[in-house]
Amino acid sequence: MSDMHTEVLILGGGPGGYTAAFRAADLGKQVTLVERYPVIGGVCLNVGCIPSKALLHLAHIIHEAEAAESHGLSFGKPKIDLDKVRSWKESVSKSLNTGLAGLAKQRNIKIVQGLGTFETANSMLVEGNDGKQIITFDDVIIAAGSQATQIPVFPNDDPRLWDSTDALELNEIPKKLLIVGGGIIGLEMATVYDALGSEISVVELMDQIIPGCDSDLVRPLHKRIKKQYKNIWLETKVEGIKALKSGLKVSFSGDKAPESETFDAVLIAVGRRPNGFKIGADKAGIEVDKMGFIQVNEQQKTNVEHIYAIGDIVGNPMLAHKAAHEGKVAAEVISGEKSAFDALTIPAVAFTDPEITWMGLTENDAKKQGIEYDKGTFPWAASGRSLSLGRNEGLTKIICEKETGRVLGAGMVGPNAGELISEAVLALEMGADAEDIGLTVHAHPSLSETFAFAAEMVTGTITDLYIKKK
Amino acid sequence: MSELIEIKIPDLGGADEVEIVEIMIQSGEAVEQEQTLAVMESDKATMDLPANMAGTIQEVIIKVGDKVSQGSLVAMLRPGASNAVAEEKPVEPAAVEEKKVAVAAEPVKAAESVKTVAAKPAPVAVASSGSAHATPSVRLFARELGVDLNNLNQGSGRKGRILKEDVQAYVKKVMTEGVQGGAGIPAIPEVDFSQFGETEVQPLSKIKRLTGEHMVRVCLNLPMVTQHDEADISEMEDFRKAHNGSKPEYKLTGLVFIIKALTAALKQFPQFNSSLSADGQSLIYKKYTNVGIAVETPNGLVVPVIRDADQMSLNQLSAALVDLSGKAREGKLPPAAMQGGSMSISSLGGIGGTAFTPIVNAPEVAILGVSRAKMQPVWNGQEFVPRLMLPLDLTYDHRVIDGAEAARFLVAITQSLGDIRRLLL
Repeated sequence: MSDMHTEVLILGGGPGGYTAAFRAADLGKQVTLVERYPVIGGVCLNVGCIPSKALLHLAHIIHEAEAAESHGLSFGKPKIDLDKVRSWKESVSKSLNTGLAGLAKQRNIKIVQGLGTFETANSMLVEGNDGKQIITFDDVIIAAGSQATQIPVFPNDDPRLWDSTDALELNEIPKKLLIVGGGIIGLEMATVYDALGSEISVVELMDQIIPGCDSDLVRPLHKRIKKQYKNIWLETKVEGIKALKSGLKVSFSGDKAPESETFDAVLIAVGRRPNGFKIGADKAGIEVDKMGFIQVNEQQKTNVEHIYAIGDIVGNPMLAHKAAHEGKVAAEVISGEKSAFDALTIPAVAFTDPEITWMGLTENDAKKQGIEYDKGTFPWAASGRSLSLGRNEGLTKIICEKETGRVLGAGMVGPNAGELISEAVLALEMGADAEDIGLTVHAHPSLSETFAFAAEMVTGTITDLYIKKK
Repeated sequence: MSELIEIKIPDLGGADEVEIVEIMIQSGEAVEQEQTLAVMESDKATMDLPANMAGTIQEVIIKVGDKVSQGSLVAMLRPGASNAVAEEKPVEPAAVEEKKVAVAAEPVKAAESVKTVAAKPAPVAVASSGSAHATPSVRLFARELGVDLNNLNQGSGRKGRILKEDVQAYVKKVMTEGVQGGAGIPAIPEVDFSQFGETEVQPLSKIKRLTGEHMVRVCLNLPMVTQHDEADISEMEDFRKAHNGSKPEYKLTGLVFIIKALTAALKQFPQFNSSLSADGQSLIYKKYTNVGIAVETPNGLVVPVIRDADQMSLNQLSAALVDLSGKAREGKLPPAAMQGGSMSISSLGGIGGTAFTPIVNAPEVAILGVSRAKMQPVWNGQEFVPRLMLPLDLTYDHRVIDGAEAARFLVAITQSLGDIRRLLL
């Protein structure tokens, strides 16, 4: 067993971990990154955000080509070479892997491959292919992430029962695919497999898909996929999954539950669980709650002074962009800066078709919290840009504080909506109000205009629609 | 028909948020050039707003009680009508040269923005959303300096946004004041005086209110000491009376001699012609010698400033004094005429009294009080002789000036007044 010492140790090489490592190194720290897999980038880059977006891109082209037919442009039925699709997807991840490895090397960050667990509050045991080693450290940032939630009673060893990682492997295109969980991950994968030719059914426990999101934003997506997919069962629970030779037989319960049905594959997408119990936290004296989350303060500090934690393992939302910002904070605090995580919101995007995105206060929350607000909604049916894309179902919504007009929240649904949300986040962080946004000149014709129009619905200065005088 | 012209508030000598107290025109009325359209009350004086050209008022935009600043729209005027033969050349060129469309929207905006920068905090507006109105970089900056942004009521940015400069200013303020503002000073309890007999409530004039605020601010901030002395002005009075008896253009008052003596002393002791920097770390010496004179007016106390008093003759000082105090009593002093003093004089000599303790007109560092001169027996070494003695009081900011310096300064003044030939030196 060889020993080494480092000033800052980072456990986990996902977007949170590598960002923290890079920032700490840039601030003059000697940094070692422990990553269980041979490449850095974590779930996001290898089995999450990036590969799924590559596949969604292809799904998008398939749908566009289909839609173009009614506009006078025919390509014929697409031929799908699954091996080629897979290797293209992998090449996207790989080029990013290589890029990150280069960035780490330029910063003299030592990457140790292996599974890291705490030995004491100042040392970590790393078990890798080349054996074990102990790394001692002055400060440590835990960025050990999360993994897909498994339901113990299901036949988890059956290769036809997938989690999101299996789904992204793209080994086959099942004829009948059931997606358990109508959240963002489940619906993105539904979009991919629907385009590739699977017959999709979605089952969701709550009364709407993408629970928590305002229903007016979800409605256009629901309306569209209802036509595309075989079934969308809401308020329905999966009771059991039986592995048969012919497929996975799934039984359901609930008032609206259908009869049992057999599927060629079932994707379980019911959420992710933090890895708090898997890192030997107790040996370092780090407190982990019942769910497996590590509690941190706004400087990302755990209950142990020199131990920091970031990303999925410290709480929801489990999003790469949250982890990366937290990673910077932790690295800066370790380097003696007075940073803290005080972002006002973390935007969420579902890269479905249409895309759904929101940030800040949702209407649901505003109502629950009794906050007085003004709402401006602009339907994309009045957007020339949207119509010229052959789409009219989109919607942009802005929520402003009633008294001051200050932006509190926003949401969009429609093609490319995910690219529009950043302006709303900036408006929120800058403390802009509806008037500011309406007075900002937006390029025409663009989808981004709809954000200004929604703001003008609040201020009453809209000219692209007619509002009846009260 | 000639085009409509906008009448706007001219440069008010730096005054902002001036209140309209009276409007003397109505729409349809013909006005002549220089005719007073409205009366504004600023900081410490009322000002007339003259028409910059003759014409007919088409529309009056302002109302009594409006707060206006330079550029605010007052009225629309159709020029050239009435009997007055005025050129269409405005006194304030800026008022008409600007583009119509752009200006039309501006006055409303200006009035609004003035409201939001008002000194009064609007806590709800900012606090209700639960976080300070500041961008991420400013929040980071505040954290680095350990400033809780919730302690800043409003920023100076657009719509009250807190800027980096506001955080810096707040830190400076806390550093110099130690604690925040005058918080913690117990208020004088409210008493219902009607229980003791009949009463009548009269609102204080704006000048009285502002003077009051200023005085409290000074008393809380300055450690003040008052030094008393007497000047033998027997010979000065002989000269003055003889001069005035010769029917000169300007009659000399005792005050002009005191101003003269004061400017001489300010030259000799430059620390009296200074101000403390806002952070209290340095002294700003003034190379000019401007003397403020406290003037009692029907509306309250004002302090017009005689500029470059050191370069004026006694006659010139007399003329300036007559001019400024006249304007002050009529309430027609522009704000600029009440700024930039080196030291002030408060003279109660015409009324009576043997001594008093004036309050320094900060950011000046000292003030000279003058009481009533009195014939007194003075021991000349062999006998008591009758001499006309003038009581003088010098209050000074002890952060800047020490007792011995103050004593020397006052002695210098008494010596100058005792033998005015010294003023020639």
